[in-house]
Amino acid sequence: MAQRIVVIGGGGGGLGAAGGAKAVDPGAAVTVFTEYEDVAYSPCGIPFVHGKEIPSFEALFLADKQAYVDAGIDIHYNTTVASIDTGARTVDVVGTGTVPYDSLVIATGFTYADPGVPGADLDGLYYVKNIRSAMEWDKRLDSVQKAVVLEAGPLGIEMATALAHRGIETHIVDPNPWVLGELCDPDIAELVQESWTEMGVQMHWNTKLNAFLGDDKGSVRGVDTSAGVIDCDLVVVATHKEPNSALAVAAGIKTGSTGGLIVDSSMHTSAPQVWACGDVCELPHQLGGLPLQGLTGSHAYAQGKVAGANAAGGSREYQPVYVPWGMVAGKWMIGGVALGETAATALGMPYVVGAADGISRARYYPGVKKVRVKLLAEPGSLRLIGAQMAGGEGIKERADFLGVAVKKGLTLRDLATMENVYSPPIGALNEPIAVAAQNALAAAAKAK
Amino acid sequence: MARFTTWLRVNSQHYLLQDAHVRMARKYGYPTPPVHGSIFWTKIFVPVYRLMPWGLRRPIMTAIPGSHRKRWPVQMLPEGPAI
Repeated sequence: MAQRIVVIGGGGGGLGAAGGAKAVDPGAAVTVFTEYEDVAYSPCGIPFVHGKEIPSFEALFLADKQAYVDAGIDIHYNTTVASIDTGARTVDVVGTGTVPYDSLVIATGFTYADPGVPGADLDGLYYVKNIRSAMEWDKRLDSVQKAVVLEAGPLGIEMATALAHRGIETHIVDPNPWVLGELCDPDIAELVQESWTEMGVQMHWNTKLNAFLGDDKGSVRGVDTSAGVIDCDLVVVATHKEPNSALAVAAGIKTGSTGGLIVDSSMHTSAPQVWACGDVCELPHQLGGLPLQGLTGSHAYAQGKVAGANAAGGSREYQPVYVPWGMVAGKWMIGGVALGETAATALGMPYVVGAADGISRARYYPGVKKVRVKLLAEPGSLRLIGAQMAGGEGIKERADFLGVAVKKGLTLRDLATMENVYSPPIGALNEPIAVAAQNALAAAAKAK
Repeated sequence: MARFTTWLRVNSQHYLLQDAHVRMARKYGYPTPPVHGSIFWTKIFVPVYRLMPWGLRRPIMTAIPGSHRKRWPVQMLPEGPAI
């Protein structure tokens, strides 16, 4: 009899798991339950359709439903799993009843943190997640004059930039003192904020939300904050991503300090024959050793592949993370890897730092852009522990490279003497990473 | 236990980050953000945490339950060029 593998969740992690299971055991009966109407689209692309950089939502779909039928993956759309019984190895599916499994993968993703203020039931609060909902919101955006984006995390940054592109008067309300305040350093953030000012985005830092304000029809008409009332027609709620772990917790599966499910390198949870992947679980950061939750779609998909393969009887391992990151923010790209100065300072981790402003192409070549690189290293050994960057281009590639550099323990000396590609249309004579490393070495020598 | 460790992490992370924001703002010449919170977190926890050496902090932090305490692959060291 074919082994029965059930996957709860149809996002990147869930579909990665389904595919991973089928790759190991093509004969397995793989069933996916999702609460949504669709799978296999990129929710990360939604802000860019709103901002008109991408012409339509259809472009975000990666595969049609028939592709999964052809692959032998049985997807149940608009279907809710009400409970898990890890002892009996069954899930209770609303409208269907009890479904047995041999292996279960939980990929229930995230929910936005509850702002915890009055007015949360008003119409006009947009939680960006589901593509069908985004299609409806996109029509409404045509008539929105003024919008508030609540919190400048990764999604808030992209939505604020998108709304400004669209010509909507956009306000950002955030309790932190600068953009991406939980991750980003102020000297990187300042470039983004300057560009937002140019784009007309109004920023309200160190500002706490007190309430959503509505009219007599139940629609949002503003927000009350610690800095006063801001009128608006729409609020994008882009609060912190929290693990959507209630179903697993109710089944007795253990969570860590992030609230995410505890997993090992095989993505196995505390319950027998139950694996997890994506935003519902937590992963250890290799530097500092603490677990993290709420990473990227790329992480979720890769974890799903591991979880699904192991659920089908395979033997794969996921690695502790270093989290290279990057995004478009205002008129800049920003990015980094592992620790920035703010995070290292919060942890109390000693570091030496060096920064450099360089350029992305030869200075005379059309389209040349500024690139700012900052490197952090462990004192003494001078091994890289993190980086942050802002620039007009080439940030993602540098973040990926520096991710490997941190992982493999490269030092400032390695980077200071690195060879670099020089070709006027694609690379300047001096690589900003090398110059930042040279400056960090000089700072370290001076500090001795 | 999970609720306590979540509470501890959320609060310690918040107040240590708030302290780091102040330090970063001073370093880079930005307006210093306001410091909010109870005396315990702002006047006791954060200063005591910062007084501890990193070598002591890390084992304390990693003692809490979580994925980091499960089995994970050991990092391979660089082995030099292929040829």
